[in-house]
Amino acid sequence: MIEVKNIEKVYQRGSERVYALKDISFIARKGDFISITGPSGSGKTTLLHLIGCLDKPSKGFIKIDGIEIEKMKEPDLLTVRRQKIGFVFQHFYLIPGLSVLENVMLPLIFARKKRDLDEIISIIDKVGLKKRIYHTPNQLSGGEMQRVAIARALINNPEVLLADEPTGNLDTENSENIFELLNSLNLGGLTVIIVTHNPELAGRTKRIIKLKDGKME
Amino acid sequence: MTYIKLALKNILRHQTRTFLALLGIATSVALIFSIISFNRGFERGLSKELDATGLHFMVVSSGCPHEVASLVLHAAVVPKFLDIDIVNKLKQFDGIELISPILITQLPNPQKGRIDIIYGMDMNHISQLKPSWKIDGQLPSNDSEVIIGFEIADHDKLKVGDMITYTDYQKSFKVSGIIQKTGSQDDAYIYMPLKAIQEILNKPQGVTAIGVKVSRPQELNYITEEISMNVPGIQIVTMGQVLNSLANLAASAKTLSLSIAIIAIIISAVGVMNLILMAIFERTQEIGMMRAIGASRQDIFNIIMYETIIITVSGGIIGIIFSVAASGIIENFVRIFMPYVPSGRMILFEPLIAVSCLVFALIIGILSGTYPAWKASNISPIEAIRG
Repeated sequence: MIEVKNIEKVYQRGSERVYALKDISFIARKGDFISITGPSGSGKTTLLHLIGCLDKPSKGFIKIDGIEIEKMKEPDLLTVRRQKIGFVFQHFYLIPGLSVLENVMLPLIFARKKRDLDEIISIIDKVGLKKRIYHTPNQLSGGEMQRVAIARALINNPEVLLADEPTGNLDTENSENIFELLNSLNLGGLTVIIVTHNPELAGRTKRIIKLKDGKME
Repeated sequence: MTYIKLALKNILRHQTRTFLALLGIATSVALIFSIISFNRGFERGLSKELDATGLHFMVVSSGCPHEVASLVLHAAVVPKFLDIDIVNKLKQFDGIELISPILITQLPNPQKGRIDIIYGMDMNHISQLKPSWKIDGQLPSNDSEVIIGFEIADHDKLKVGDMITYTDYQKSFKVSGIIQKTGSQDDAYIYMPLKAIQEILNKPQGVTAIGVKVSRPQELNYITEEISMNVPGIQIVTMGQVLNSLANLAASAKTLSLSIAIIAIIISAVGVMNLILMAIFERTQEIGMMRAIGASRQDIFNIIMYETIIITVSGGIIGIIFSVAASGIIENFVRIFMPYVPSGRMILFEPLIAVSCLVFALIIGILSGTYPAWKASNISPIEAIRG
């Protein structure tokens, strides 16, 4: 469970204080599928970063599985990221020279964890790329690359999958496929939080958090 | 998969760029390896060559002693002659085992179209002065016989019993023996009985140097001092002095060339640093992604460090392989510039020098990788993945 309570994120720009987020509170329970929507600059990505332990709120608190993260120092945040969170990005960010298998294994290396090859392959199978484990990113389509990125996010068995515009770089058909994949992962019990511009996709998640000027509508 | 593999894949992404940086490091390491190896080989070859003379010191006529001694080693013509009477004077000193007058000169050999280097000496002294020689045939038994070095025999296809004729002097010599290959300059000389060459030059009393072997080497200093004080008009050059002056020559050449090599390696290290910085700049978002999916700052630092070290160390390995493979060419090149180089191979693969060069390449890697790695480890995941 992720608990977000009264958080604020303030940036200092010269003498001006800019509120990226103001008074945000919500709870994401296990198995939730939440979309964060809103216009550009409304603070969607900032909120995702805070939930993803990439940044700390200026005020308020965030609890992930009962752990308060806003008081944590970087090494502990790193541990939370490794154990609890899977990230998917708009631009996939696969490493070009590495195969699908190696890209998916990357978080294991950083977390100093070992998993059986069979287990890893079964995760790649979940995203439908079992036959392409030795292909490199340049041999894959955009939709396939995002699948690899999702498999990579799943490799550490996270509590929550955070996706920043996961379909933002894909055509309609691939967007649909990726959304369906996220949906099926959610149906399997995984908490999924996505940031999206696409109101149609947002409408198909269980809950929508709409942001405007850093505040919830 | 490991960090190292990850680093390797990153490096291989920009092959041309990596290749150029690698080339810079390889060239610099090859330079350093060659210079150090050459210098080692030089010292080794020099003492081997001096040992091969079997003498403790040379008596020559006064002048620049070291130069004369080098000339003796070179077997070039020494312009000044000593009088053979000096031999008698030397005989009066205690502790001297062997006194061997030597006359080194060059004789034109019109039949072969070249100039022969003649080493005139007392043939009875050969077993003492050149104990390592193996001679096919036998030592000259009279003044119209010579023995020749391996290279001369090989080049002229001479066999024992063949004749060498110096038409300018209307003299012919029978080859009584051929010295088996020594690997030193001995291979290139013709050894003639002292009397025969004195006769040819019309200098019946002339010698260019007198080689002396003492019975107890530890008394060498005492004996040479005694001789210097009591015999006028001569200079004594010990083999140690020859060794030192030639080794000093090589050492100053080494210092100069090493400084150039160090500058070369600094330039190539800056090249590597630039390569890595560029790669980091291009991969900012990717590094941010890695931080987001669980890489610590240390992880990023390590990956970048590995990348740098892989480039510099493999550059080092390539450089060493290159300089060993091309050692013949490098040696010939250096021989052009050095006034005296012992014969035989100078650059040999010495594991210790190779390992030191690799450690050096490793240090260069660490030095040129630290700043880029630190910079990369400070990339914030948020800034990076904003895309």
